[in-house]
Amino acid sequence: MRFQDAARDARAVVYAGIQAEPAVAAAAGLLAEATPAQRVLARAVMNGETTEADGWRVTFPGLFGDGSDPAERDRSEAILAASLAVADRGEQVRSQVRGAIVEALTAVLLARQVGDAAVRRERRILFDGVAAEIHPYDVTVERPGAAEAYDCKWGARGINADVLHQLDDARTHAADEDERLEVALVVFDAARSCAVRLDRQTAPTEGTRLVAIETLDELAGPGR
Amino acid sequence: MSDPTIATLLAGALDAYAELEALGEDVEDEWTYVTDLEAAWRERLEAAIAERGDEAATPEMEAAIDRAADEIGRIRDPHRAIDWLSTYPQVVLLAIGERP
Repeated sequence: MRFQDAARDARAVVYAGIQAEPAVAAAAGLLAEATPAQRVLARAVMNGETTEADGWRVTFPGLFGDGSDPAERDRSEAILAASLAVADRGEQVRSQVRGAIVEALTAVLLARQVGDAAVRRERRILFDGVAAEIHPYDVTVERPGAAEAYDCKWGARGINADVLHQLDDARTHAADEDERLEVALVVFDAARSCAVRLDRQTAPTEGTRLVAIETLDELAGPGR
Repeated sequence: MSDPTIATLLAGALDAYAELEALGEDVEDEWTYVTDLEAAWRERLEAAIAERGDEAATPEMEAAIDRAADEIGRIRDPHRAIDWLSTYPQVVLLAIGERP
């Protein structure tokens, strides 16, 4: 098993530009520190129809109301501002930016556990005698004897058979080479919604870990 | 008119949610997912009604849930409706101080 940078085709070049936007890194940094409720705020605003800040403050009284913690309120304001900046983009760009934010957030959280050097983006995993997958993995952790591959999704609806097969195939091929590869889906959506989506899939799911919006901090913790 | 309870707020939220589901059903390929998703979150909201329905709702809760209903009422794209079928119940539950 070995890792390789993804081919720099036209799609990759365009998407790399999105990934490199300072706003993506800033949002990921804020969300890495966020509470579950603040992450739902980000999801709602970035999905939203309206971009009027006061309306969103009313929608989340636990974050912006009189009884909210002042320090947390400051972070909520920062997350609201960052999310509104994403929501203000055109629909296609907004979708790309949201995806890039989930990937960046995943990388930030993983780096807290394994260090920056071990966390890579847009990598393919190659196995002897197996045709390489076209699509790279969003985030990988590359350490001898403890490799990990992550696919990141903005919403539960992004979970599909292709993604599940790719992750499970990689895990299986690694095992065939007596290598250990943990595979996981990171979904910036509720575990309940992910469970509904996964229930409808016939692709293998047993060996793929799910990290949902409520459990994102597990990526940074020793209990991974 | 009596003060609103959490039950009355969530009953209104479920009405708005039903309309969102109807819009999401326009995506034929996702019909089963849409109906299953709606059922899963309806069950969660009904559980909240069963547990806390008799509690008085605060003005902040009422304003938050009204505002969330207004947000989803603006949606015309069935694909965005599907996104909100997951997001809206989370927002509503947070508004009443519940973990989604």
